[in-house]
Amino acid sequence: MSNKGVLPMDSYRLAQYSVQVPCFICEGGNSFDAEFCRHCQAPMALAHQANLRKIAPQLVATIGSADAGKTVYLGMLTDMLSRGNDDLQLLARGAFSVSLQQMTMSALSNCEFPDKTPNEPERWNWIHCQVRSSRKRNPTELILPDLSGEAILEEVDHPHTYPVIRAFLSKCRGVLILIDAVRLMDGEKDQDFFTMKMLSYLGELDDDPKTGWPTRPISLIFTKADRCETCFDDAAEFARKHSPGLWQHCQQRFKRSHFFASGVAGACAFQMELGGTRHVPLRVEPRGIVEPFRWLVEQIGQ
Amino acid sequence: MKNILRRCGAWSMGTLSLGTLSLGTLLLGTITMVVAVWSSVLTGRWWMVPLAMLAVGLFPLTRWIDRRRTKPPSATETPVAQRPERPRAQVTTAPAPALPPVYDPNDPAYLAQRLLEQHRYALLLRPQIAANLKKEQLQAAVRLLDDAMGIVPEGDVLLQSWRNQGVPDDSNGPRERLVHVEAYYLDRYPVTNRQYQQFVDDGGYENMSLWDSTIWPAVLDFVDRTGHGGPRFWVEGRYREGLDDHPVVGVSWYEGAAYARWAGKRLPSDPEWVKAGCWPVLTQGTRPMQRRYPWGDTLDRELAHLWGSGAPNTVSVYEMQGGVSVGGIYHLIGNVWEWTTSNFGVWDTTARRLETATPMKSIRGGAFDTYFDTQATCQFQSGDSPISRKHNIGFRCALAMCDVVSLEVDQLVESDQMLVSCGASAEEGRL
Repeated sequence: MSNKGVLPMDSYRLAQYSVQVPCFICEGGNSFDAEFCRHCQAPMALAHQANLRKIAPQLVATIGSADAGKTVYLGMLTDMLSRGNDDLQLLARGAFSVSLQQMTMSALSNCEFPDKTPNEPERWNWIHCQVRSSRKRNPTELILPDLSGEAILEEVDHPHTYPVIRAFLSKCRGVLILIDAVRLMDGEKDQDFFTMKMLSYLGELDDDPKTGWPTRPISLIFTKADRCETCFDDAAEFARKHSPGLWQHCQQRFKRSHFFASGVAGACAFQMELGGTRHVPLRVEPRGIVEPFRWLVEQIGQ
Repeated sequence: MKNILRRCGAWSMGTLSLGTLSLGTLLLGTITMVVAVWSSVLTGRWWMVPLAMLAVGLFPLTRWIDRRRTKPPSATETPVAQRPERPRAQVTTAPAPALPPVYDPNDPAYLAQRLLEQHRYALLLRPQIAANLKKEQLQAAVRLLDDAMGIVPEGDVLLQSWRNQGVPDDSNGPRERLVHVEAYYLDRYPVTNRQYQQFVDDGGYENMSLWDSTIWPAVLDFVDRTGHGGPRFWVEGRYREGLDDHPVVGVSWYEGAAYARWAGKRLPSDPEWVKAGCWPVLTQGTRPMQRRYPWGDTLDRELAHLWGSGAPNTVSVYEMQGGVSVGGIYHLIGNVWEWTTSNFGVWDTTARRLETATPMKSIRGGAFDTYFDTQATCQFQSGDSPISRKHNIGFRCALAMCDVVSLEVDQLVESDQMLVSCGASAEEGRL
């Protein structure tokens, strides 16, 4: 059994297929209707959005170890800035840019943390947004992905495992590095080592003294600082005391680095589940979320 | 030789100009004078002679000042515990109040007057104490009580599970529980910096009888930025200037409980606090109708100070008067979380209970930085460690009805007879 039908010859479609659309992240060629880049799995919507605008968006990475709080930080940041209560305002470009905010807010309002970001690049959330500041005349176009912590660690340890991370970090204008302050205060050195590995990796990507990472802005954020309040008093001092290696590394090799402290949950409890324990935020009271981002945007604009 | 003499002359002048307070002996003064005169003779500076004599004359004066300064404390003064000195922050603090009048501790009339001035009227209104007061003092105490506290009537209140409010019962168990609450008084406003300053000035942090014995080792650690006993964000035992009517923050649960004890009150329990805000009304059956917020069922950020309402810090408790509850209690929602006596999660009836690293006390009401509307309702419960001293947690006090003498104001004016409302054994007065 077969149905007979007439298919029109869509010559314009054939023409579109013949022209390659470059991925905005890795610049690899893709067909015009591809959802993800076939080279790096970044969403092609970024390229389509960028083609529609006159201003090329700038890339800002948010990196850190698994469970450092990247998803919560980005979701909280986008929601706070989109409410318009700050001198900095964020407007999403494209429906895909709202997904992370929606997922994070829906979880936090229910007193839960959002699910862990999967390792597959095609399942990551990307934000393309316009950032307006009352201090600056022209708005800034930014692209902020929510990268998986495990994928970043894998790429750092085994370069080229995740081409999207490598391509993205090479083109980044600035980076937000998230460090779990509680683990650091508890004496766990993995946060210290991971951040230093990350910084070394960035240095390897581009160590040009004028245009490379030594002069690009790096915002180091101690997350979960609500559970170690001294961090809020002086984040740089906290870094010097609890992570002397990292502090020294930044002082010596990265001219434009700054330490910040942030927290989202006022207090946490945990629930026993089959897979282990699950942390539960007892209330949401964001602190120090906007400041690192504002600093970074100002530094990028200089 | 000339140089040495010149130096001696300069030294004597230095002694004069500095007015050294520690070297106040006549012998040293005489030697100084002789050296100064000798050097002035040799160098031809005659004008130094009267100055040197003046310097000698200053020694007895400075000695006398020293004595006045280092006068030992009298035997009646309580020694203050030594606290470590910390770096001082450059902030302006509220000016120190004028010295209070001196009272005779053995005179009950003066003692009552002092308690009234400190707004510790709850102590005076205890049945066993009120009987010994003068009529005017009793009237004054009753007026203070009426002004500062509202009545929450007796009745049942529904306490819902700490999250997923409004969700019907499921397999994990019922999500709400009916609890009976006796009538009580609740502070109309959270305790302010100005009120807490009286507690600090009255030696609240040194009077160990006000504190739970379990927390005695930690009391010495309840210090401000400069190492003085007081809330965490204060400087040199004083709050920052201009924050008189802001709720006190940076106080642990134990500090709140100690203040309440000093004032003759206590912290409210969870059901009491929820009842004051929800104001349950029993219409039919046994399930009362309750409000989501003290003013109704819809959140209005102009009625409560939450994230996005304005200033990213506490505001005066006398602002946002529109958010008052039916019973005349202000700022139940927003501005600062409030400590209660209950443990966190104790009213949670669901099977999926939460574990915490340390035992937590329940806090209610949301604060200036509470982000979600759903977490600023009368029913929402959060928790924190009882020794944590956060920037957004304060407290207000409660008073059981049976701890207050029952008075009819008209009767009070006409006669001295007082009716004791109940014979409940109240705590021994701390007078």
